[in-house]
Amino acid sequence: MKVNTRNFVQTAEREMQNQYARAFLALMPPVIAALRVQVMGSFPDPEAAQELGRAIRAEAVARMPDLLEEFERNAVAAGARVLWARDASEANELVLSIARERNVTEVTKGKSMISEETGLNEAFKNNGIEPFETDLGEFIAQQLERPPFHIVGPAINVPVEEICDLFMKKAGMEKATTDPVELGYAARLFLRDKFRRVRMGITGVNVAVAETGAIVNVENEGNIRFNKSSPLTQVSLMSIEKVVPTMNDALHLVRLLCRNCTGQGISAYVSIDRGPKMKEEFDGPEELFIIIVDNGRSRIYEDVKMRQVLRCIRCGACLNLCPIYSKIGGYPYGWAYSGPMGQVLNPALLGVDDTSDLFNACTLCGTCREICPAGVDHPELFLYYRELEAEGKKMSSGRWEARFFKLWGTAAAHTGLWRFFYRLVRPVVARYGKEGKIKAMPGPFEGWFKTRDLPVPARRTFRDRWRKSMSEKNLSRGGME
Amino acid sequence: MGAVSLFIPCTVDFMMPEVGEAVVRLLRRLGVEPVYHEEQTCCGQPAMNAGYPAEARKAAKHFIETFGDDEVVVSPSGSCTAMVKYHYPELLRDEPSWHGRAEELSNRIYELSQYLVDVLGVEDVGASFDGTVTYHESCHILRRLGVSRQPKVLIKKVKGTTFIPMDQADACCGFGGEFSFRYAFISEEMVREKVDHYLKSGADLLIISEPGCLLNISGYLSRNNPDKKALHLAEFLAGVQEGGVK
Amino acid sequence: MEESAREEILARLRKVPKEETPVRPVLPPARELSLDKEGLVSLFTEKLSRETGVVYRAADRDEALDHLTEIARTENLKRVMTSTDDTILSLDLPAWGDRNGVAVSTAADYVDREEYKRAVFDEADAGITGADFAVAETGTLVTAHSERQPRLVSLAPILHIAVVGIDRLVPVYEEALNAFYGYGGRIPAHVTLITGPSMTADIRATSFKGMHGPRRVMVILLG
Repeated sequence: MKVNTRNFVQTAEREMQNQYARAFLALMPPVIAALRVQVMGSFPDPEAAQELGRAIRAEAVARMPDLLEEFERNAVAAGARVLWARDASEANELVLSIARERNVTEVTKGKSMISEETGLNEAFKNNGIEPFETDLGEFIAQQLERPPFHIVGPAINVPVEEICDLFMKKAGMEKATTDPVELGYAARLFLRDKFRRVRMGITGVNVAVAETGAIVNVENEGNIRFNKSSPLTQVSLMSIEKVVPTMNDALHLVRLLCRNCTGQGISAYVSIDRGPKMKEEFDGPEELFIIIVDNGRSRIYEDVKMRQVLRCIRCGACLNLCPIYSKIGGYPYGWAYSGPMGQVLNPALLGVDDTSDLFNACTLCGTCREICPAGVDHPELFLYYRELEAEGKKMSSGRWEARFFKLWGTAAAHTGLWRFFYRLVRPVVARYGKEGKIKAMPGPFEGWFKTRDLPVPARRTFRDRWRKSMSEKNLSRGGME
Repeated sequence: MGAVSLFIPCTVDFMMPEVGEAVVRLLRRLGVEPVYHEEQTCCGQPAMNAGYPAEARKAAKHFIETFGDDEVVVSPSGSCTAMVKYHYPELLRDEPSWHGRAEELSNRIYELSQYLVDVLGVEDVGASFDGTVTYHESCHILRRLGVSRQPKVLIKKVKGTTFIPMDQADACCGFGGEFSFRYAFISEEMVREKVDHYLKSGADLLIISEPGCLLNISGYLSRNNPDKKALHLAEFLAGVQEGGVK
Repeated sequence: MEESAREEILARLRKVPKEETPVRPVLPPARELSLDKEGLVSLFTEKLSRETGVVYRAADRDEALDHLTEIARTENLKRVMTSTDDTILSLDLPAWGDRNGVAVSTAADYVDREEYKRAVFDEADAGITGADFAVAETGTLVTAHSERQPRLVSLAPILHIAVVGIDRLVPVYEEALNAFYGYGGRIPAHVTLITGPSMTADIRATSFKGMHGPRRVMVILLG
């Protein structure tokens, strides 16, 4: 997927004016958040259930190399072909060569975020192979060439008129309609034909189980099941952090994933594959390829402070509660992942230089950390990314900021200097005030004043007042204030 | 009761010293004589949040030197208290003796309402206010410190006060330090919604325990709804003196 | 070339010191575990109904067939595809089909995979299958697929009818899956957990059933 993380401010400003987006953001996330609370209540101890999810993911990350080897061993024993890819181009090339060897000209795809990262669809098209996204939301977003608006509903904000146009142009729909149900049915017909005929299906993986070598997928539509049942060749892409120790671990995470993602007890379909079809089966893939993709994650793993990013299970609960996401929607985050999830993943995968606004445009309110079933501490990561960015800045454009804070640090450690700088700066700022309030002030703080006032910094600080009252106390021999 | 050492954050020291004065008045009324170390400067949050942990560390060490021998430290700011409690040990992880002192200090530092209710054991501070009041749950106080019951019980025990809960009281107000001016266009939306909920509640007064939130929300009210007020919890409990409610 | 990718990735992951694995909290037992048979039936029905699934009780084979006859009538079923698991075989659906003017076929009836696919995609008005377990926790059917339980029969037709023995009703997923992946026996290549019909809300958050899979699911609890 094209990286567009440098346009955060522009895109956010635009999206905040978009009434469709705002309408959804006012409605959908709070509804899912409320459903989540309700459905987590079906655990006798929801907090313990949350803690268990965090422990499972922490263990999965801690034991990753061993678990990956165990997974591979068991998957191969079940007849799967397991391949490894270091980066996007290796991953894409593996899939392309499987397709070429089988003279495939069309593929159907279930939702796979790792394939969005690697730009697999683009690679297919550049090689004369037509990919069809079969998840309805992804299908729409793909055709409109937009990043996902929300991880669960990638095109949920798109007006029906646009979808109608799109379907008439690209999905063989003949009669115009803006009824969401009729549009859904048109997509069903179009994609059903693909499921029937296409020879190779591609899926992602939600959880990979080391103990059994099985891959688990979670969905509501049935398109992933079709990709696992109809084509002769199935290719499933998983990033390295998907692996967990046991089947019971996977089941617990499936519960947490569904409850946090959409507020459902479980999604309509969960499918578990261990190897290709059994010899006697009438349907199912004759070959199952599992491609384990790194794409920057082993580098992240090496950074002990960043490593916890790999715990994320992509449930999207953080999006639904983020006060900033709920104003701007998914587009400003500019890549495969949005909301707090994107704020922790995109900088780790793309580097902090290109993703500055993602980890700076945050109040550190901590709601994401609180809700996360995988135990990611988002605010801690944002502070770390800011630290990395500042270190980089010291070399170049941010020199003034680094110098400012160096001075600041010295002042904070020396009372006299601290007071001195206040005495120096206060009158400069106070100049902009009138009757105790500042209504406008040029410089870095300018943005504040568009809708807010600020009190003029006090001439008599708390310390001054304390000293005065204390000295008065001394003079009057123990008089109370 | 042993001496209580006041940690007055720079936001209070410079921008709202009357809040600090209210804390002093309140504690004295409850029979607690506060101590104030004049050498205190800043907890280091601005440097930390901007990505300069080395500079934050300098502030942290100065802080530990200043407050290290106090039995109890109390602050009218949750975010600053959280900085000391949760970030200092991590910041000083690589220097064992500082780390030890930071861990030690983290057990002895409290946000104001936390101190009053959990340590002093007081819920009725002897204040009175005739009217309806609502409360904004600041992010660090609620989520970092886990403090929510304490400020509300203090408010409810003020004679003559009726407490009205506000919609989405726990939604972030959009301050976030640098965020408020660097990403002002988003911050504005958040504070506008916060004020909306305040107004919709119909309460006469909004109480806030966090100086940053107070600056943000009061700043918006001052420009857009000057008849409606927000007050720091300390001021509300101490009873506002000079000049009435700002 | 893949060999070196694998080695390189694993080597990098092993370069850093391993972190400690946190202690896992003990969860209190699921509430569903304390339900008796009627409690499980109740819960299963409630959960599946909320997803618009329909649950029928049948004391015996004849009652189950009566339900099917009624469904065939109201849904105007002309052709159905079935699995050949024990529960379905015990119903003798071909005979039932003869009696009720419904053409009944199974995957084995077709000359090749493509013909079978054509039939299950384009001809079948409904897919009738058994299931290995019914899970009360969320109204879920758990099925291990095989030549007797093809994958597309419960997926491609617009209506899915499942017949499950009541002795296969369990409280939580673990009981079902541990049976498959537990101790020996033929481990299935494909296991599905089906909870109600296929659905999406991807267009304007408007709920739509039958996105790719069945629009309706009916379950007959037998016994």
